[in-house]
Amino acid sequence: MAQEAAFLCRDDELPERESRGFDPWNDGRDTVLLVRHGGQVYGWRDACPHHGGTPMAWRKDAYLNYERNRIVCAAHGAQFDIESGSCVLGPCLGQSLQRVRLVITPERHIYIRPLGEEET
Amino acid sequence: MNIIGPDALVFGVDDIAACAQYLTDYGLTPVGLDANGGRFEALDGTAVVLAHKDDPNLPAPLGTASMLRKTIYGVADEHTLGAIAEELGRDRDVKRLPDGSIETVDDMGFALGFQVTVRRPLDLPAEAINAPYAPAGRPANVVGVDEGAPALPRTLSHVVYFVPDAAKAEAFYVGRLGFACTDRLLGAGPFLKPAGTDDHHTLFLIQTPPFMKGCEHFTFHLGGPTEVLQAGTRFVNKGYQSFWGPGRHKMGSNWFWYFNSPLGCHVEYDADMDLHDAGWTARAVPMSADASQLFLFQQRDKWAPGGPPPGAAGAAERH
Repeated sequence: MAQEAAFLCRDDELPERESRGFDPWNDGRDTVLLVRHGGQVYGWRDACPHHGGTPMAWRKDAYLNYERNRIVCAAHGAQFDIESGSCVLGPCLGQSLQRVRLVITPERHIYIRPLGEEET
Repeated sequence: MNIIGPDALVFGVDDIAACAQYLTDYGLTPVGLDANGGRFEALDGTAVVLAHKDDPNLPAPLGTASMLRKTIYGVADEHTLGAIAEELGRDRDVKRLPDGSIETVDDMGFALGFQVTVRRPLDLPAEAINAPYAPAGRPANVVGVDEGAPALPRTLSHVVYFVPDAAKAEAFYVGRLGFACTDRLLGAGPFLKPAGTDDHHTLFLIQTPPFMKGCEHFTFHLGGPTEVLQAGTRFVNKGYQSFWGPGRHKMGSNWFWYFNSPLGCHVEYDADMDLHDAGWTARAVPMSADASQLFLFQQRDKWAPGGPPPGAAGAAERH
């Protein structure tokens, strides 16, 4: 059965230079993260490509470095470009995060499209 | 060489406040903490030291994502310190620092310090258990569960390095510093112990590509498996991200629970590691999930057995 798009948060619930984790498919842990950077919202699977797609935050919603310009995997410190998802430093150098497809409604609600419909 | 084990690990981080909160919540005690960093001590004085990554007093970074800047070993006495300085001074710079310690690098480029150990001897009991037909671990009327038990890290146990040449790295620690290999995971690397401890390992090396070079994890020993689960549960409840565990390793037999951290490596709670002496023969098995752990659990929210909850009972009646 096809999954429906899942609500993540309202647009105004994700401040600039902040990240948040979500569990849209009720896996029991966050599997998706959103980051707002330069006004844009970027959505990635919460799965480090280094080792079997392990969760990346070190604490709930803590996915960014101190400068707030990289996504960081708190397993081994791998750093990812927020816009492209490419690993720029660390154990998964040359690999990339998996982008998820977001839908922002006219009411400024952020939804995630069902898994399997990710962009590559 | 009477090297006892790691006295301290020094990290150069970008977010000192976050790392300080993390290490405090993990159970270490901040000492001399300010905006530039500080020391986070276990009960016996072994520690993690934080500094800003741009602090000019830190040894050079490894050039990878790793934030580990120095591993400081505690040794038995000044004589050992002198012997290490003489041995390593034959082919590399060995600096004597104002605090009396010495500083140099290993063959992989990891900065090393050696000092007369700061460990404060402690008198603490191990976790005590009762088992049928064995002498009582706890006398009558002494209960095993204490919800308020401190479950604090007692001592810095071990550090694990990703290294680009595990054989060469092992040769340095064994040949130059008197470490011994206690066991080996083929395809990963050796478990190593220095001469001044019986612990199964204070250093484990994992062969990786050069761009991964750095610290995989470090851990402090707790008083027993219950303390590992109790401290880990508290850590999860504070919002920290479990990575692997709880479980029990095969090699070393230590109970483990690993967490993500803002220090660019995993941070573990561990307890009940095997002790070995010269009579031990190192095992060697291919690296695999089965070789790595006897069993593995996964943390989940607490619940208790009982009748069905009201909602579930109601739903059943409606069908």
